Amino acid sequence: MDRECVSLLPRVCEVLAASGSSLPDDTILEKLLDWFTALTEAGESLLEACPCLLEFISAVIHDTASAPGVLSFTLRHFIEPLLQLQTDTSLFVASAANQMLSHVLLFCQPVSSIGCNGTNKKEDEQNTSVSKAVVENPAEPMEINQDCTAVVDAISEYLKRALGVPKGSAQLHQCQQTLRLLALLLGQTKPPLHDKLLQTVTASLEEMVAADCSELTLPLMDVILAACSRVPDQRITRLLTFMLNVRKPADLVHAAAAFLRGGHHDRVHTAQSVRLLLLPLDIISGQNRLGTNTAGDMHRFAMTEQLKSKTSCISMTSVCLTNIPQIAHMDPDCLPCAPDLIVSGILSLLRICSGDSSSSAAGCSEVFRNVIGSGKVQKCALEALTAVSNSPGANGKLTDVLTLLIQYLDDPDSDPTVLHKSYQALVKWMSVCTDVSFITDQLRHDLVQVVKKRACDMRWEVRDSTMEFLGHLGAMRVCRAPAEQACDASEALLGGCCCTTPLLREALQDPESYVRASAIKALAQTVMHSWQEGAAPTQEQTEIVTRLLEILSQDTEGFARRAVVKFFIAWFSSHTSHTPPSSPASPSCSLLMQSVRSVLSRGCADLDWEVKVHTLELAELLLDKAFLGHGSYTKGSDARPAQPHAYAVMPDRAYTLHTHGDTRAQDAESDLVDVLKSLVEQGVISALLSGLVDCDRPVALKACRLLITLRVTVCPASQGDPDVSDATATVARVSCELPRAGWAQEIRKILGVRTEANAERDLNALNATSFEDHSEEGASAVSHCERVSVCEALGSLGLDDRLEILSRSSDHVHNSPLSLLQDILTASTSHTHSNTQPGQEVIVDCY
Amino acid sequence: MKLYCLSGHPTLPCNVLKFKSTTIMLDCGLDTTSVLNFLPLPLVHSPRLSKLPGWVSKDGTINLEKELKECAGRVFVDAQPEFCLPERELLDLSTIDVILISNYHCMMALPYITEHTGFTGTVYATEPTLQIGRLLMEELVNFMERVPKAQSATSWKNKEIQRMLPGPLKDAVDVWMWKRCYSMQEVNSALSKVQLVGYSQKVELFGAVQVSPLSSGYSLGSSNWIIQSHHEKVSYVSGSSLLTTHPQPMDQSSLKNSDVLILTGLTQMPTANPDGMLGEFCSNLAMTIRAGGNVLVPCYSSGVIYDLLECLYQFIESANLGTTPFYFISPIANSSLEFSQIFAEWLCHNKQTKVYLPEPPFPHAELIQTNKLKHYPSIHGDFSSEFRQPCVVFTGHPSLRFGDVVHFMELWGKSSLNTIIFTEPDFSYLDALAPYQPLAMKCVYCPIDTRLNFHQVSKLLKEVQPLHVVCPEQYTQPPLTQSHRSDLMLELQPPPMPYRRCSVLNLPFRRRYERIYILPELANSLVPSEIKPGVSVATVSALLHSKDNKHTLQSVPKPPPMPPSKKRKRVIEEPPVALAPKPMLSGAVALEAFLATLQKHGITEVKVEETADGHILHLQAEDTLIQLEEDGTHIVCDSEPLRTTLRDLVLRFLQKL
Repeated sequence: MDRECVSLLPRVCEVLAASGSSLPDDTILEKLLDWFTALTEAGESLLEACPCLLEFISAVIHDTASAPGVLSFTLRHFIEPLLQLQTDTSLFVASAANQMLSHVLLFCQPVSSIGCNGTNKKEDEQNTSVSKAVVENPAEPMEINQDCTAVVDAISEYLKRALGVPKGSAQLHQCQQTLRLLALLLGQTKPPLHDKLLQTVTASLEEMVAADCSELTLPLMDVILAACSRVPDQRITRLLTFMLNVRKPADLVHAAAAFLRGGHHDRVHTAQSVRLLLLPLDIISGQNRLGTNTAGDMHRFAMTEQLKSKTSCISMTSVCLTNIPQIAHMDPDCLPCAPDLIVSGILSLLRICSGDSSSSAAGCSEVFRNVIGSGKVQKCALEALTAVSNSPGANGKLTDVLTLLIQYLDDPDSDPTVLHKSYQALVKWMSVCTDVSFITDQLRHDLVQVVKKRACDMRWEVRDSTMEFLGHLGAMRVCRAPAEQACDASEALLGGCCCTTPLLREALQDPESYVRASAIKALAQTVMHSWQEGAAPTQEQTEIVTRLLEILSQDTEGFARRAVVKFFIAWFSSHTSHTPPSSPASPSCSLLMQSVRSVLSRGCADLDWEVKVHTLELAELLLDKAFLGHGSYTKGSDARPAQPHAYAVMPDRAYTLHTHGDTRAQDAESDLVDVLKSLVEQGVISALLSGLVDCDRPVALKACRLLITLRVTVCPASQGDPDVSDATATVARVSCELPRAGWAQEIRKILGVRTEANAERDLNALNATSFEDHSEEGASAVSHCERVSVCEALGSLGLDDRLEILSRSSDHVHNSPLSLLQDILTASTSHTHSNTQPGQEVIVDCY
Repeated sequence: MKLYCLSGHPTLPCNVLKFKSTTIMLDCGLDTTSVLNFLPLPLVHSPRLSKLPGWVSKDGTINLEKELKECAGRVFVDAQPEFCLPERELLDLSTIDVILISNYHCMMALPYITEHTGFTGTVYATEPTLQIGRLLMEELVNFMERVPKAQSATSWKNKEIQRMLPGPLKDAVDVWMWKRCYSMQEVNSALSKVQLVGYSQKVELFGAVQVSPLSSGYSLGSSNWIIQSHHEKVSYVSGSSLLTTHPQPMDQSSLKNSDVLILTGLTQMPTANPDGMLGEFCSNLAMTIRAGGNVLVPCYSSGVIYDLLECLYQFIESANLGTTPFYFISPIANSSLEFSQIFAEWLCHNKQTKVYLPEPPFPHAELIQTNKLKHYPSIHGDFSSEFRQPCVVFTGHPSLRFGDVVHFMELWGKSSLNTIIFTEPDFSYLDALAPYQPLAMKCVYCPIDTRLNFHQVSKLLKEVQPLHVVCPEQYTQPPLTQSHRSDLMLELQPPPMPYRRCSVLNLPFRRRYERIYILPELANSLVPSEIKPGVSVATVSALLHSKDNKHTLQSVPKPPPMPPSKKRKRVIEEPPVALAPKPMLSGAVALEAFLATLQKHGITEVKVEETADGHILHLQAEDTLIQLEEDGTHIVCDSEPLRTTLRDLVLRFLQKL
């Protein structure tokens, strides 16, 4: 905490204590608390730093009368109202009270090994006020022990009283809340207290479990699971068995799901839960896969009856399906059937959902008709199918899965989400598939047809998913046959680029920008492989590039333009990683470099800041490539490690620092000149300079960092080392063009200002370079002419200062604790002020 | 009340309802699926179709070379296509009083019913139904007359011969009922009998029943009908739709409180959701055009085509199909497109409001203006010179047996680049394609049937709660191909009454009441007496006058006035005193109270015997019997004074009117 804050805090405390309920903005306390919490977590002791806080706390605590909206509690006066609040109708209040109680109880644990020196309590009562009570660790240990015992007794007593079979909705609410509290307590307390609590409530729990009340199933399960998380207690285990056996079918399913979620390792109950969760699937698909089991058969009848109701059928089936991923990856010993049978079950269900006649014949017609055409079940089942793709034995089902997914993709009634999930499932199953040789030509043909159809779908969401799918396949490597080399999945499934590229190119014209963006991304993922070879660019390649550049300069939507820049980033990085730097420029390389130049110039002029940042990323790649091997160049403009692009294959390049011997200095320099010249030519320098003066902070920051890197690499002279300046004299002559208008004006202005400020040093350096060379270029750099020396500019732009300013978050001035404190003070002043002028409302915004 | 079922086709119904002395025909749909057994009628000479081998039975015993031709592995009748008519023998068609038409698809058999049958009644239909129905009939006649075929084939219909034929000819039913298409003259004559009605307009039929059309939401001017008397209500639900397409939305609430609801015209494609099919249509169309192929859409010239065009209007931009020409070829293409724009009051609300902007309600006007959609009466003439490929052609007939579509099948069938997209649900697409096989062209079946599905109809019935439902038997069981889908049938309590072709159903309700009017002066003379709180009764003597199924009570005519007396000024015209009728009695004699009264009058020795209808009181001293029954009291007594006393005692307990 800085000094200023410390000095302000006492006054703030005064204001807060005085203002009571009439706080103008109730979020400030919350923010204040957040800040305190952060400080405490960071290891600072609030009380040491600000003794005034204690005063404030006690002031608030003793000030309840004057502030009706502020509820405050201390350790004594304070359990009873908290217990009452625990069942408050407001969810926030109740849950805060629960949290508070559990904190208090934990605090009171006889084995006092808790490190926290205080608990914060926030609560919000219908936006009227925020009250807080900071419970501090008082000084007298003896007193605490007594207090603690009293508190524990009070809470236990309360729990005993509050738990019971509920009559009426008010009681039901109370029961639910109390169970929640209990679950919280049991989950956190340690043995002596844990056991004591358990002893207190077991009888009530037994009673409630026996009452078979649906609304209490989940809270009860939570309590029971929390209870048996420590040492298994026989009575609790019995309760658990009961919960998983003797209840209404829907409750059973929920209880079983809760059990699995709890992550317990009790085999008996796990097996039972799994069986319960698989039962609806078994019933609907009419396949008796779960074997015979007396308990199971007992449930089967009741569950079948329940499934005949449409709503419960859909909800139960969904619960089961959401738990299937977990089930599928369990130890097979816990499963009532082989994992691949679960896959078959999901497949049957999906077939029934789509109205397939053959697979439903065995099931109960009153049941399966409920899921026919249900989008919800379809979505859950597809998610489950995606999740079970790598369960043991699933590979054998690949053909079935593929057939079904193609059927889903073809189904005219599939909604966009279902289609999206079908694509996802297909990608997932293909990704785990080790051998695609057994995919029949018919399947391939069907898939191609269906993908072609969906690429023309009326709904853009579907076209978008289709493009994404093509991209995913393009990026995925699969083996055609066990012995063969890997190829990309779109090749194996769709016959490669000849099928996908026309679809993607068509989608570049799509009226929906998301689709265009996805198509561009997918193009990057699919065509890159074939573009890496150094062959002359095909007509198709040229057309695609032209169209992409067209999108970059003309598209009205940012998504598409961002995607274009990313496309070139991917192309460039995959190209660099596949061609050694020394190799002669291939024809396709020249197409790439040509387009990169256009991308840089167009991307920098974009209105979307993300496009500009991506453009700078491309510029960075060019820098990386250009200075590969140069000693003073450090890759990565940012402090953080360079992030590989989502779809770029980043080379594992090591930048070893070379020490330049005198003999090699000359070569290195002429290299550097060439490199710098080419960077100027490619427009990298212009891109960076225009980025530097961009009004979007991230753009300027990125450009600034890159420019600093560049400066370090090419112009050590500007850093004031006179010995090197001679050596880099030729480098300094490399100049770049400043256009007459736009960003260049800005740059000129900075250069002008800078020159005046550092007149002497800068001029000296300039004169040195220009006169030595008898050239006018350098000298004219500061004057208003067209070209500017790169090195000179790098030195004169004041990059380090700019970096410092830019690095600060734009809201650093406004969003600091200091400003918060100031705001509170200002608010209180204006609030008082507003009291004198009734009718004038003061809106305080702390952000 | 009886229902005569003349058609078994669920969506092309023809039923006759006998209700309160009226005979009402509900729709007269024409089943045209029979044409699938005939060879296509090519507009342009087709070498392939003209050189087909004739059919001779394997053993050579039956030679029908002239009538039957083998084509693509099947046998077809080489004659002018014939239609399967509604049953004409089940009842005398001349006795039909009125025909109610629900939509233009369900009136195509009208000339067969109204012409040459002695029919003298009236046909009721809405204006769009009449106008578009006329267009469709004209088109049908035109299709047939453009390719005249003098020859008619009858030998194959011989039962003995038909038995020997290969399928599906062998299995065709009622082939003797099949008839060639009517003439334009018959169409005009039939349509001249149509009287126009508007939605909710009430039409009195002979004073006995009132009929009224309600919007059914299926097509322009489509209606359901309410047929009601004062105390009975029959609803007739034909092709109806709850989807938001171009017509006015369906009026559901007026169907409430029906005694009987006759339900026909549900979707023929219960598993094909129209939205999905529309999407399928669009994506297949775009896919074909992008690949450089042509798209053929065999369709009716009115109805779903309006929605297809509207959908394409929105789709062509997004699918980059802006430059692809769309052709609509039909003798009635122009009229159909224009008629749709002028029936604003029959359109859905959205389209109605456009008229006031003013804008054409359907966007196909804009497609025509921008030259994206062009329409031609036939492939001959202008079309052939302006025709440009790849393109999309909408043309009839969806059976692929006649109309311009036959030409396009011959033209485009050989290329796998082209696609035929079936959107009409009336014909099996495989059967339709049979004479064109082998076919390289891609076939897509996306039948768009917007009529009610089983889910919607169960909801509707739950809401309107008819006492009884009558429906085609097809609706009472799952479809044959999906026997497990119990959700694709009507499940009602009480179960619906199924009918099939030639069924005669006794509708399960009995008329119990009849309304009778009473004239005001007569009503004025009544003296009601309250027999229990809220219920008053009066006797009336009047004359019942029945005319045109209306019954009226009139005052009994006065006898002629007395001859004037001589002393005029003293005469007071007194109405002749009619014989006062004996008062009517009501109520019951309470036994205990009666016994008490008897006792008061000195009759003490009473033996009471209980009988099935009441009691017998034996007055032993007086040797008298009193029989008290629910609807009568008998006093058996020798002494007249005693009888009178007893009678008066009994009367004390009864109320006089």
